[in-house]
Amino acid sequence: MIENKELLRKLSPVPFGVSAILLILILSMTAELFAGVLVAPTVVFLSDKSRTGRLTIQNPSNLPKDVTISFSFGLPASDSLGDIYLTLQDSNVTDPRSALEWVKAFPRKVVLPPNGSQVVRVVANPPAGLADGEYWARIVIAAQEGETTIPASGENGGISTKLNMVTQTAIVLKYRTGALLSDLQLQGVAVQKTPNQVWAIVDLLNRGNVSYVGILKCRLLDQNSNEISANQVDLAVYRNLKRRIALPLINSKIPAQIEISISNEGRTDIAPEDVIPGNKISYNLKVE
Amino acid sequence: MLKPNLNRIKGRFAEIIIGGVLIVALASTARAQDVANALATATVQTAITVSASQPLDFGNVFQGIPKSIGDNMDDSSAIFIITGQAGAGINIQFSLPEYLSLPDGSDRMSIVFRSTDAAVDTSNTATPSTMAAGNGWVNQNPYLLPSAAVIGSPGSNTKIYLGGRVVPSGNQKAGVYSGDIVLSVFYNGL
Repeated sequence: MIENKELLRKLSPVPFGVSAILLILILSMTAELFAGVLVAPTVVFLSDKSRTGRLTIQNPSNLPKDVTISFSFGLPASDSLGDIYLTLQDSNVTDPRSALEWVKAFPRKVVLPPNGSQVVRVVANPPAGLADGEYWARIVIAAQEGETTIPASGENGGISTKLNMVTQTAIVLKYRTGALLSDLQLQGVAVQKTPNQVWAIVDLLNRGNVSYVGILKCRLLDQNSNEISANQVDLAVYRNLKRRIALPLINSKIPAQIEISISNEGRTDIAPEDVIPGNKISYNLKVE
Repeated sequence: MLKPNLNRIKGRFAEIIIGGVLIVALASTARAQDVANALATATVQTAITVSASQPLDFGNVFQGIPKSIGDNMDDSSAIFIITGQAGAGINIQFSLPEYLSLPDGSDRMSIVFRSTDAAVDTSNTATPSTMAAGNGWVNQNPYLLPSAAVIGSPGSNTKIYLGGRVVPSGNQKAGVYSGDIVLSVFYNGL
């Protein structure tokens, strides 16, 4: 038996005890790596036919989490360069498409045990006579460690700090009622050039009564219509929006041509029944 | 005599290794199933997860002596990990404290975040200390993070590194000063 152990030790590339410790370390590291809460789905759809919805919050870590659920209002907006930003408003929302005042979540605060999950129900109580279309809010889920260890201050009256790391994500809530129209207008395309790439800044206006959710695809073509490069971004246009998209000039030079297409086909991240089919846009532009 | 014995030991050794691999695989599978359970209520969009894997740690601080932690310190910079659908555009915002306070509110200490105290890593290969421009965005203003940020690929994650500076006064009270660092993340294509 002792001989066997010795042989085993000789056969093993690393001592068995070290292997066991490494294994435990790997397991604990994978657990820590996933610390945080997971929220699904990424969009909650409600309607006049189904005024309640649900989302699931999961704590895949080995520590309890304090989770709060609240509502805000915020739409993706853009600056003149096509950079996207989103500002959340908790109060004084004047947008007529805001659902903030009439949606509620249950529960609004929960302590999730390690590896636990919680279903949160979302209920809409819209006012009577709501105009047709889509109404929006953001469901904000904030999480932080449920049990925090306060570090001991240094000896002889020392000073130390404890920074609570709070993580927050906001998923979209869309309430739909009546006749729905998804219609997008291309208002213009601006082009910026650098020696290595071309930027297309696509200016879009939503003319429908729902958010236009689709894909913006751009191709950069040479003079013989051969593709130099292509790029695409997911698009969500609530009001108006500029999106900037980069097209590398791979071993090519201008003059060239940009081919733009916008459609709400091909979004694999939204269930087909939740997509409101809208118009398609095709546009070509010379770059000189 | 020794040869069969050796073969048996080799077999047992292989069993141990396979067992270890199975444990790791089962742990991963269990976690994947947890995630799949959550996603079962959803569409096919990958859920977004934001986690803080390391707090901003100033260690011991001394009266009247400001202390800075850069965003490039593996053991003390704050590290946030955002996981989701690779390539999806995200909006990232910090809400940062101006002061840290004692639990009883009897004193507070100034905390400052400078315009280069953050980095956004979409490479899945860097750490705070190895972060370079090619890995994403370095020397970023934490109050104005890049609007072109995406969920990184490969790895389907983006990491945020954050540093800061505390400025204790000459008569700063002893104790543990606390405050909240809030990181908000949203998909911007939904």
